[in-house]
Amino acid sequence: MTKGHDRSCRELVEQLSRFIDGDLSAADRRAVARHLRHCPCCDDFVESLRRTVALCHEAGQTSLPPAVRARARARIRTLLGQVQTAGTAPHGTARTRH
Amino acid sequence: MNPSSRHTGAAGRDRDYPDLVRAVRTGDRQAMERLLMRAQEAAWRFSLMVCGGASDAEDAMQDALLKTYRYATRIREPEAFKTWLYRTVRNACLVRRRRRVDEPAHLLSLDELMPSPDDGTRVPEPADKGRAPDEHVANARLRRRIRAALAKLPRQHRVVVFLREIEGLSTREVARVVGISEANVKTRLHRARLFLRRELEGL
Ligand SMILES: [Zn+2]
Repeated sequence: MTKGHDRSCRELVEQLSRFIDGDLSAADRRAVARHLRHCPCCDDFVESLRRTVALCHEAGQTSLPPAVRARARARIRTLLGQVQTAGTAPHGTARTRH
Repeated sequence: MNPSSRHTGAAGRDRDYPDLVRAVRTGDRQAMERLLMRAQEAAWRFSLMVCGGASDAEDAMQDALLKTYRYATRIREPEAFKTWLYRTVRNACLVRRRRRVDEPAHLLSLDELMPSPDDGTRVPEPADKGRAPDEHVANARLRRRIRAALAKLPRQHRVVVFLREIEGLSTREVARVVGISEANVKTRLHRARLFLRRELEGL
């Protein structure tokens, strides 16, 4: 992937997500792997794309802030409590707490 | 390969949606509470990361709570719950957004996103969780940077990244939620990844 972007590099970049996701045919996959062996720039590029995907995945692994979680729990209790007192609950009576 | 399967706790925290929905139908109250919490969590994340506002998050959570409660008791196909949930959350978000116009409207062109000759290696490694406190700080900072990068994406790309990379939906599920073809999901995802890679490379 030198300056000016070789046409084969450009075509390769378009395939890289499917390469990472294991979504290419065996032949295409081999062709990409072959290109990567001979093109350090594209090889670096794949690695940085992989890291990007991993970082995004990680960025989403957040739990609710405590105050937000507490309000979410309160909403659930209110809803299920209302349903129960209204006598319309189609659900079981496995109450584990009050 | 599925990382979430490692964290299945005693309380069944990470039970899959179909299992949870089936349990709800047998009258399992804890399963119902868990399902309602997960629906609210999904709505919260969607609000923050796709809809772009904490201000709407609580409304979104309340909305998801009520709709999930109504839906869970009459759903025929537990397998369909997940796509139903995300479609519901997304639609509610679209309705709330109609008043606003703060979308980046540009499309992502490949030329903009091609790598420059020496930039490939600067995207940082994902940090290990649960180590030293300074790593927690670094992780938090990294998360903010990634969310800021996500926020710069056009929404039609952002929603695909969110559903696929963050929420772990399959390509087919994303296509169903968003109402586009699977090929289109892959194209948007790829463009979005190239964009994010470029945004994150300076970290
Ligand atoms: Zn190349």
